[in-house]
Amino acid sequence: MSRGSEKPDESPKWMSFRTLLVSSMLLRVFLIIYGEWQDSHMEVRYTDIDYTVFSDAASLMASGESPYKRTTYRYSPLLALLLVPNSIFHRSWGKFIFSASDLLVGLFIREILKLRKVSEKVCTVSVMVWLLNPFTFTIGTRGNCEPIVCAMILWIILSLMKGNLSQAAFWYGLVVHFRVYPIIYALPIILVLDSKLFRSGQKPPLEDWNTLTSSTEKKTFRLKSLFSRERIMFGLISGGVFLACNAVSFYFYGHEFLHEALLYHLTRTDPRHNFSIYFYHIYLHYERQFSAVEKLISFLPQFTVQLALVFSFSKDLVFCMFLQTVAFVAFNKVITAQYFVWFYCLLPLILPWSRMKLKWEGLLCIILWIGAQTHWLLWGYMLEFKGVNVFLQLWMASLVFLAANTFVLVKIIQRHRFSPLFGQYVSSDGKNVKKLD
Amino acid sequence: MGSKRGRSVIAATSIFLAMSCLNSISTTQVGTSMLDSDTFCISDQYIMQSYFTTQSSLNESEFRHLHKECSENIPYEDVPAVATLQHRDVTGEGSHRHLLTTIKLRSFHLQSHLHELVIVERLPLGVFADPFELQSLQQRRAFRDVSVFGDTDLEQPSFRSNRSVVEIHVEINGNGETSVKLPLHARYQPIGESGYSRVEFGEPDLFLCSRHVPNQEHEQRRCLVLSVGRSKTQTRSVVWEIPAGIRSHTEYVSVVTFVAALLSAFSILVASLLSSKVESCKNTKEL
Repeated sequence: MSRGSEKPDESPKWMSFRTLLVSSMLLRVFLIIYGEWQDSHMEVRYTDIDYTVFSDAASLMASGESPYKRTTYRYSPLLALLLVPNSIFHRSWGKFIFSASDLLVGLFIREILKLRKVSEKVCTVSVMVWLLNPFTFTIGTRGNCEPIVCAMILWIILSLMKGNLSQAAFWYGLVVHFRVYPIIYALPIILVLDSKLFRSGQKPPLEDWNTLTSSTEKKTFRLKSLFSRERIMFGLISGGVFLACNAVSFYFYGHEFLHEALLYHLTRTDPRHNFSIYFYHIYLHYERQFSAVEKLISFLPQFTVQLALVFSFSKDLVFCMFLQTVAFVAFNKVITAQYFVWFYCLLPLILPWSRMKLKWEGLLCIILWIGAQTHWLLWGYMLEFKGVNVFLQLWMASLVFLAANTFVLVKIIQRHRFSPLFGQYVSSDGKNVKKLD
Repeated sequence: MGSKRGRSVIAATSIFLAMSCLNSISTTQVGTSMLDSDTFCISDQYIMQSYFTTQSSLNESEFRHLHKECSENIPYEDVPAVATLQHRDVTGEGSHRHLLTTIKLRSFHLQSHLHELVIVERLPLGVFADPFELQSLQQRRAFRDVSVFGDTDLEQPSFRSNRSVVEIHVEINGNGETSVKLPLHARYQPIGESGYSRVEFGEPDLFLCSRHVPNQEHEQRRCLVLSVGRSKTQTRSVVWEIPAGIRSHTEYVSVVTFVAALLSAFSILVASLLSSKVESCKNTKEL
């Protein structure tokens, strides 16, 4: 997005942030009410099947039983606990919680951008990319819990930006317990907690949106700085919270919790068709187990890409997290549409630093990405609803989807204006902090 | 005299042959019935519940031993135990279909106090019924009672799962014809050569039971085992062709998948390294 031409801090007359937030809230309330109507009057339900799973698990928990008695409940017991009011107040309680988290993500996006002095107009447009995205407002209102995870991730970023290390570490431990995938952010967060850039208890200097030059100095590797106080603290607090949550869950629900909520996600190989390029390979080999070498080989592209992205972009923390999430989803053994929301919530945070114009490069990326998905869905429809054997074509469609993901990722990298999250501390004692312009 | 005796022998032989033929026809008409004209009593809500208290698998021969002695206060009615399978088909397209079964009962069935038709579907390996879906159908009064027994893991492919049984209870209609539409879903099939897996449905086991009175303890219900005969139009077996992976694809799918992943990873790697190199060049120029 261009920064030079518009007047600073001028919101477009047609949309202030407050109006945007209120209208988004009303839209979500309407969709929840509509969803209740559709569920009781139409054959095809509005509510996601997962919501029924969460609600059943929550009512089992409310009556003192294990939520894992509900088949396909594969989440932390905390989620079931959060939804216990479903059986006390109203079955839509959970949907209101998820939609409220979704609105909270919008608020956090704005706060993060404002802290980096992004202009009001660019800020509002970025927030609109999240709040008005049809995928976003349907996911919470249909009863999917991903908005909670997104809100936690953004809160962690906010806490880091304000210098609240313990708070960030606490929520990080909690979010990894809740949903395993945020573990991929551990390395960039640790790397960005360089004592030259971040001091616990102090508000770190942030690189503004208006800063034209990058203030990074040449990287010199020192073993001593690898184990800085901040890094150790972050590791200990987040690790402690993660272990404590797992210990409490294990105490109440035993091995069922371990298998369903943790191990399942780490070892999941679903042979059923999904966007992943690996699905057909897994299905064709399902009758025999994969050897350790085969598993390692299939993990290699994922591992290499994650490392390359972290070591190239960790200082621009949010951009790094966005790229890592897109790549993680694209190279995963299983891809379902709900995983996309993991990077949708980070996209508005990187748009102000992108040189990509909507016309025509931006539109091309959107069309290619959505087009590749639609192409896959058409073959998926032929297989699932017409009963035609199109496994090979469906697998080729997932290859095309990976190609589209790669293209979009490379384009975003090329058009990004690299901007580290934290600026340099000028003085070595950390007391007099000056921001570099 | 000789010709008269000869004619008697021929007549007797013909009658004997005719009776044998009739017997064999009636045997083929009977289909897969388990017991002929047998009644039994159950004290559970479902017949399969009673079965699984003593048996642990769906062994065909064990299925005969599910009947229990009835206590003396349960009235016995001598009702012929025959029903006709009017129609049986798998309708719909794709992985989600319906098993449609139409059963015709005789008028004397309607006059007995056995008002509940129990259909026990032993599902073949390649398909499953979703218990939650069936529960919501029951709430919408499509069935009086329904339950799934055996393997209800909805995510396993068929070579990893065990068989399951669906027991459906419906109220019999005034006209004696009852239709049941059971929603079924295809599991992932074992890989093969042709690209399709053939799943064949056998005939259901039918029972006529007295009504279940909820919350009544030690209730005994009498059930009559029905012999299933097929109507003239219903002669072919019911088959569902489900798409399955093709074995000959295995090698090149694996190779191409990994090559694609490597190419993609390489592109991202190059783009990342070039981008960070450009940034560090910019910084050294500006310093």
